[in-house]
Amino acid sequence: MGRLVLVRREQAVKGGQPLAFLIGLVSALAIGILLLVLSGHDPMAVYERMFDSSVGSPKSWSITLNRAVPLGLAGLAVAVAGSMGLWNIGAEGQILAGAMMAAWMARIGEGWPSPLLITIMLLASILGGALLGLGPAVARAQIGVNEIITTLMLNEVALRLLQWLIHGPWKDPDSKGFPLAPMLPGEARLPGLFERAHWGAVIALVVIALFGLVASRTAWGYELRVAGSSGETARYAGISLKRKIMTVLVLSGGIAGLAGGIELSGNADRIVEGISAGYGFAGIIVAALALMRPSGVAAVALLFGAVQVGGLSIQTMGVSSSVSTILQALILFGAIGAGVFSRYSLKRVQKEKQVGKEGLSE
Amino acid sequence: MSTPLAVDLSDIWKRFPGVVANAGASLQVKQGTIHAVLGENGAGKSTLMNVLAGMYRPDEGEIRIGGSQYWFRSPSDALAAGIGMVHQEFRLVPSFTVAENIVLGASERIIRKGSIESKVEALAQQFGLNIDPSRPVWQLSMGERQRVEILKTLWRNAQILIMDEPTAVLTPGEADELGGVLREMANAGRSIIFISHKLHEVKEFSDEATVLRDGKTVAASLNVDDTETSQLAGLMVGSSPVTTNRPPDRERGPSLLEVRGLEALDDRHLSAVHDFNLDVHSGEIVGIAGVSGNGQREMAQAIAGLRPIKSGTVKINGSDLSHALPVERFRAGLGYVPEDRLGVGLAPRLSVVENAILRNYKQLRQGPLLIDDKMSIHCQDIVDKFGVRTGPLNEPIAGLSGGNLQRLLVGRELSGEPKVLVAAQPTRGLDVQGVKAIQDLLVAERGAGVAVLLISEDLDELLTLSDRLLVMHSGKIVGEFDPVNSERHDIGAAMAGEVQI
Repeated sequence: MGRLVLVRREQAVKGGQPLAFLIGLVSALAIGILLLVLSGHDPMAVYERMFDSSVGSPKSWSITLNRAVPLGLAGLAVAVAGSMGLWNIGAEGQILAGAMMAAWMARIGEGWPSPLLITIMLLASILGGALLGLGPAVARAQIGVNEIITTLMLNEVALRLLQWLIHGPWKDPDSKGFPLAPMLPGEARLPGLFERAHWGAVIALVVIALFGLVASRTAWGYELRVAGSSGETARYAGISLKRKIMTVLVLSGGIAGLAGGIELSGNADRIVEGISAGYGFAGIIVAALALMRPSGVAAVALLFGAVQVGGLSIQTMGVSSSVSTILQALILFGAIGAGVFSRYSLKRVQKEKQVGKEGLSE
Repeated sequence: MSTPLAVDLSDIWKRFPGVVANAGASLQVKQGTIHAVLGENGAGKSTLMNVLAGMYRPDEGEIRIGGSQYWFRSPSDALAAGIGMVHQEFRLVPSFTVAENIVLGASERIIRKGSIESKVEALAQQFGLNIDPSRPVWQLSMGERQRVEILKTLWRNAQILIMDEPTAVLTPGEADELGGVLREMANAGRSIIFISHKLHEVKEFSDEATVLRDGKTVAASLNVDDTETSQLAGLMVGSSPVTTNRPPDRERGPSLLEVRGLEALDDRHLSAVHDFNLDVHSGEIVGIAGVSGNGQREMAQAIAGLRPIKSGTVKINGSDLSHALPVERFRAGLGYVPEDRLGVGLAPRLSVVENAILRNYKQLRQGPLLIDDKMSIHCQDIVDKFGVRTGPLNEPIAGLSGGNLQRLLVGRELSGEPKVLVAAQPTRGLDVQGVKAIQDLLVAERGAGVAVLLISEDLDELLTLSDRLLVMHSGKIVGEFDPVNSERHDIGAAMAGEVQI
């Protein structure tokens, strides 16, 4: 009996990524069949519904796209920090902060021309997320406080703040006592793109592409890579680590905040507690699966969005939410995880023969 | 019939990518003795100890413990054979008590606090280790934590104890106390292997000493009482396999690097360099010799701007840059080859190009963008001029050999046409060709009028290349030697701190 180990290939297999993607997807679906049969469903019917509802028509594409926007931006936010070895676990709270700032601007600017109001809302949402990222940024850069803890805890702070606003100052007097904020005015809504899709998709794509360009082409992005590779080397090259940590965590917060602003303006009627359906946390998975690369974030977010939309739709045909969640995870990790094999190969190694005491001596 | 050796390692080979860490090293330790293993950084001490402790599997060689041959797959195999190791970084759970840390992982089925604590206490007293078993580890000093680590190995009934530079984290008082504990353990029949490069401790604590250099054993089981400290120092630095000819004498020019009254702290905020004065003139190589840990590293870092200066001044090419950033010093004409190639001089995960432009990327910009063509031309220049053998320039540097990494690093520093070059251990760990190439580069720079400060642990290298040789001990210069007309013995004595000037 040997043992299986992953061995890095000398060179990545050409065209290996798409092939691995397909193989992974197909194997995940095959395992899923077992899961569905065991839980008493017709696998083919379930898969058909998943496919139709997520990518089967322009309308389903538009729903998928809307879902991919906050996932992509949250993923980018995490990836920006991750490229320097920092973990922003606070994207969820930053999304809420962004949404709150945008909602605030919508209250102030009711009746303003729509393009002006939307621009102000989105800029404010960036500011909101960035402000929430500022605290952890300063604490990390100046006194070395672990940003994972601080960003994580601020999620709770942002949520409580939003609850207070909805139950208190922002409560709609016409809501018959329900803790609801008033509806957004029409001029605060992002215009549509096609079917249900809104312009948020374009904005998200531009932001992701822009950051991808900045990261790979500019001196700033280069400094970021050096700092992420080795802090000592960065100091040697004259790069200020403190400043880099500050910028990156604040920028990361701002991008997540923008996701909140877009979500409010594009997808919601009013600001509610559940404005972010866990996008901030899902963003961590998106970033990790995209290997912290902005170029990968958009593709992973789109797949993630499609799987989520498909997974939700099959719950209407009686598939339990837990089975649906397992299926979503299977597909996601199967399709993306298989990419590893384009860079690594599986080898069987024989166990070492000489083991333990041999007792060769007298 | 004599008692078999407690430890008998013979002809141990261990290769890592680009480096041969052990090249036929051997070690014989008699039971009930304290055995020092000496050698400079990179001599292969830690690798050899990790082989003995089951952390590494040797490529070749034999491990005999108490006369029987073993082949360890893991540290637990080694532990089962009675070998315990106390690492430099302690492996303790801060929130656990002393007793909890000691029994952690040692197959204790039922843990009853009271009885364990009294057993630990009894064991501690047996060897004169003064410690309260009920205290949480986070409250303990470094010396006390080390005692917990020693107790951990004793609890597991280790008969052979490896201590990796145990005094590095201790105050002098604690170090003396440790010496007493080790002697107690040896008297009880345990064997202790003690890694160090502090010669006076070796002299004080140990019975025998084995000296490693370049992965080989150069002196085995010397009786410490019959051996002079200076002799040990000489064995550690030894001779290099490379025969670079001494460069012809030349006139030296004006002083380009002036250091006055330098004081700098080490990572533990203790004084590492003090009252340090130095002049390096255009067209000369000044060599710094010394046993590791005498402030050479901190001194080089302070000159390069990677370590803050507590007091004193550093002037490069006439301008005072005592508190300038590393990059400002580079622009003022200082090239620096740091001791740690990967992780300081080079960023491990980045590509050859990205590493080549580390010092001058700001000059390769157009607006905020980096220009690809300029980057690759600059990189290709270095690669061609300094003979760096590399794959595609966009691949991570992780695949390069030690010698090629160093050529890339030295080449990059020289591409800035420095006036002053500080090279810390530039040839350490390189193969013969690599050593020769780097030494030739240093000599060529000297010929071009650069002021070269060479810090090395290879005494032959220093004697061959230097115009003047300075010896550092305890953070300052204790002697200046003419490399042509000096006795090795005198230099060794200065390195051992036996002469003060």
